[in-house]
Amino acid sequence: MNYLLKKTALVGALLLGVSFQASAAEPILVGISITQSPPGSVVQGVQIKDALEIYRDLVNAKGGVLGRPIQLVFEDSQGLPEKGRSAVEKLITKDKVVAIAGSHQSSVCLSEIEVAHRYQIPYVNTNCWADSVREKGYPEVFNTSPYNSVVAKSMAATLKAMKVKRVVAFAENTDYGIGLAKGLGTALKAAAPNVDYKFETLDRSSKDFTPAILTLKANPPDVVVLTMLPPAAYIALNQLYEQGVAPTAKTIVYDGAGMADYPDFWQNVKEAGKYLMTIGMYHPEMNQTDLSRQIAVAYKRKTGNDPNRLIFQAVDSLVVVVDSIRQAKSTDPEKMLAAMGTGKFEGARGTMTFDSHQGGTYHQWVDIPYVNYQLTAVNQAVGNTTLLQGPGMPLNIGKLQYPK
Amino acid sequence: MPLFFDLTINGLIMGLFYALMAVGLAMIFGILRIVNFAHGEFFMVGAYAYALTAMKLGINPWFALILAAVSGAFLGVAIEKLLMRPLYQGYASWSIVKDEYAVVVTFALSLFLIHFVDKVIGPSPFMGPSLVSTQRIAIGPIMLNGQKIIAAGISISLLCGLALFIKKSLWGRQIQAVAQNRFGSSLAGIDPVKTTSIIFAISGMLAALSGALLAPIMNPAPDIGSFPALKSFIIVVLGGIGSIWGSMFAALLLGVSESFFAVYISYDYRDAFGLFILVAVLIFRPHGLAGQKGRGA
Amino acid sequence: MSQIENLWSRRLARDLKCLLLLCALMCFVPLLDLSPYTLGILIIGFYFALMALAWNLLAGFTGQFSMAPAAFAMIGGYIPALLHFHLGASLWLGIPAAVIGSAALGFLLGTTVLRLKGPYLALTTLAFAEIARVFIGNSHEFTRGDQGLNLPTLMDGRIAYYYFFLALVVLMSALIFLLMRSKYGGYLLAIRDDADAAESRGIPVVRFKLFAFTISSAICGFAGCMYGSFSQLVSPELGLLQQTGLIISMVVIGGIGSITGPVLGALLVYLSSEWLRDVGNIQLIVFALLVMIFARFFRTGLWGIFLGIYARFKSNKKN
Repeated sequence: MNYLLKKTALVGALLLGVSFQASAAEPILVGISITQSPPGSVVQGVQIKDALEIYRDLVNAKGGVLGRPIQLVFEDSQGLPEKGRSAVEKLITKDKVVAIAGSHQSSVCLSEIEVAHRYQIPYVNTNCWADSVREKGYPEVFNTSPYNSVVAKSMAATLKAMKVKRVVAFAENTDYGIGLAKGLGTALKAAAPNVDYKFETLDRSSKDFTPAILTLKANPPDVVVLTMLPPAAYIALNQLYEQGVAPTAKTIVYDGAGMADYPDFWQNVKEAGKYLMTIGMYHPEMNQTDLSRQIAVAYKRKTGNDPNRLIFQAVDSLVVVVDSIRQAKSTDPEKMLAAMGTGKFEGARGTMTFDSHQGGTYHQWVDIPYVNYQLTAVNQAVGNTTLLQGPGMPLNIGKLQYPK
Repeated sequence: MPLFFDLTINGLIMGLFYALMAVGLAMIFGILRIVNFAHGEFFMVGAYAYALTAMKLGINPWFALILAAVSGAFLGVAIEKLLMRPLYQGYASWSIVKDEYAVVVTFALSLFLIHFVDKVIGPSPFMGPSLVSTQRIAIGPIMLNGQKIIAAGISISLLCGLALFIKKSLWGRQIQAVAQNRFGSSLAGIDPVKTTSIIFAISGMLAALSGALLAPIMNPAPDIGSFPALKSFIIVVLGGIGSIWGSMFAALLLGVSESFFAVYISYDYRDAFGLFILVAVLIFRPHGLAGQKGRGA
Repeated sequence: MSQIENLWSRRLARDLKCLLLLCALMCFVPLLDLSPYTLGILIIGFYFALMALAWNLLAGFTGQFSMAPAAFAMIGGYIPALLHFHLGASLWLGIPAAVIGSAALGFLLGTTVLRLKGPYLALTTLAFAEIARVFIGNSHEFTRGDQGLNLPTLMDGRIAYYYFFLALVVLMSALIFLLMRSKYGGYLLAIRDDADAAESRGIPVVRFKLFAFTISSAICGFAGCMYGSFSQLVSPELGLLQQTGLIISMVVIGGIGSITGPVLGALLVYLSSEWLRDVGNIQLIVFALLVMIFARFFRTGLWGIFLGIYARFKSNKKN
């Protein structure tokens, strides 16, 4: 009798232990849809992947969430809306992830949020700037990404402070490029109505923009705005320099895509990048949080590069996913969404909350910090650039330099 | 007026680059009547070979240029030997699926090369090292990139050299013979297989060289090949089969008209413009601008 | 019927029977309780099978080597999408519009390339495909450019779509079988083998070339609009040259000039490309290598290999 009792107790304990182990070890799956092969921007995809892995390791080192480790499931969207859609479908229906994050191209985002909305799974937008992603008003979508309207407003304010008369923008033929260019036009009309502004749409797969640039040569504008992504943006910048259109004593280039902190920026533009004025989502002089410091160190160790805004955007989107699980104390999608809607999240860039007004700021972290700065030397690290506008500070346009 | 002048000069320079890209394809087209869908990837391989040897191994850019040319030639010969032989050697019943075979195999090759390079070397675009350090220089009223000037100069010499080679040298005349009549030339004692190898070597070399020369200008990434490929297809058809001069002329024409089209009609559709021209020419003048009539287009 | 005609129609019949067997097997697949994602993969495989059949009709049976099938699928998807976006039209208007529109454009393309052969034909159709794609991709005001357009769905539930697409494949194959068995099919084959000789025998070459173009484009357009209603999104990427290359590879691997070949090739290639996705991001490298090897060494495709094995098996049985 004693022996039987002991055996039962032992088996019982073993089973309890095993089941406890199993549930304790069962990871929480988060689906990540990024570009890992052409024709999308693989460079962005790689940065986001690195950042997410760093944060995941940080979370798991502290014991994970609800006692469970976080596991990232990566899918390749190739930068194509159709592939993105099927990637997110696979993640939701086959891998049974609790949330989706990582997306970094607006047209892909737009098709992916449809799937997330259909299955009512939380979707955190990492880097899709287009207003249309927010305007859809899907309750599952939360945006830690910069958004076109805030970028447009900031750029318009900068242009107003520069007291320019003529602005020409080159936009890439995508939702982001044209959306931002149009948004800038609207913001400019409100802020500084007597500025002559027009934009040209360029094919982002083209390798030669010289004809468009040559038309500016006879009568160069005061500012050339770029709303293009690499590699077309690099080519445009190089050719503006080559033709002597900008930067000159009269004309400055103003970048609205934040490419200056890409790891391959300087190797692609060299001399042409000097004097580039840019809006930036990250600058070392911004308020650092403990998290951002940790991430910066880990990222430098992992890749040898300084961090940039894409890294922090990626980390922040995973922060929202992980912390919403923590705050909701569950991985149930409805509870997670409720937590995201009302909660506060301590991210790498600051404290995040999400707006609830319908329209272009729906579920957007409205107070995303940004700066405006200017590159003043070739191969300059972001930390050494001239800060024209610190986070939350007024614009100090006097610091802007022009070439002789 | 200055804009007109600028656009023309810029167009001619682009046209020269197009010509260098396309002439190799024209030769393959002339001799085998097939479309090589991996032509753009020779360009890419040349750009990468040049940039990697110059940047990573620290070799002098001029020497790297030669290395790029050699690697292009090597790749061309390898492709011919491994993949193209069945088209004309020993597989008589291939004729029905000849075109499909060429397209499938070269398309798959192009896909393979793009993703292989993307995986092994990395997806980032880069700017190849310039042969000269001046990023901009003023020649009269025109602003030019130093690299563009040199590339244009090298292109012209290569194109002229090629024309002379085809016309005067022994191999060149063999190439002409095989292009005109494969069977007949073999009767005359010319080895068509060896000649085809030579053509692939030249084609690969020229495409690779154009890639290397343009690496500092176009910031290549693994998928840069589609750009020269499409232009080359257009030029080869415009120029007419079997005519290298036709291709060169067509290339210059394309370069200049693209510049004007872009400015006066639409920047957005600048690359589609060439395709419009292609369709128009094929409808009204199917033998191209300078091709020989009655060659069974 | 003469012996030769007998031979061809017997081969064709055997071809169709194999395909119907394959489709019958596919009927049981949903019973395996697969995830909706896997079913979706199969449905897209059927979409490619439709285009493969259409392209084979044009290239394998009529010898017109077109590079535009994916472009027609894109056009077929965009016509109902545009009608829905701008005019709120339902699919009941959209689907016939897609078929008629693609057929009309196919006819137009056919007239353009009537006098062209070989690489010229390929390049012209390529130019057409690229022009269509660039136009749709760059016309932001009209087509929303790279964002794509949404389409309403035709039926609820993925399983319903699965059987619907399967039925479409069976239907198209049967129609093609009937066509190729008739004397009109013989005309197409004659045009493929030697258009001049065919003309000299009184076959109306022009009419049948145009016929082949029109039918092939219509099928592609229809497939495209069905796909659009399934995925509820059409984007310019549908018409990428890469997609056409995929279709051509499917037909070549499966076996050009047959009916089972294109369908088999489409399903196998698409499924394996999805399967390879799991293995690590080398799927396109492996896939491209496979295509090269197949094209180089197994030109009659899988169908040809199967026929060879079957023939050897039969002759072994005799002895």
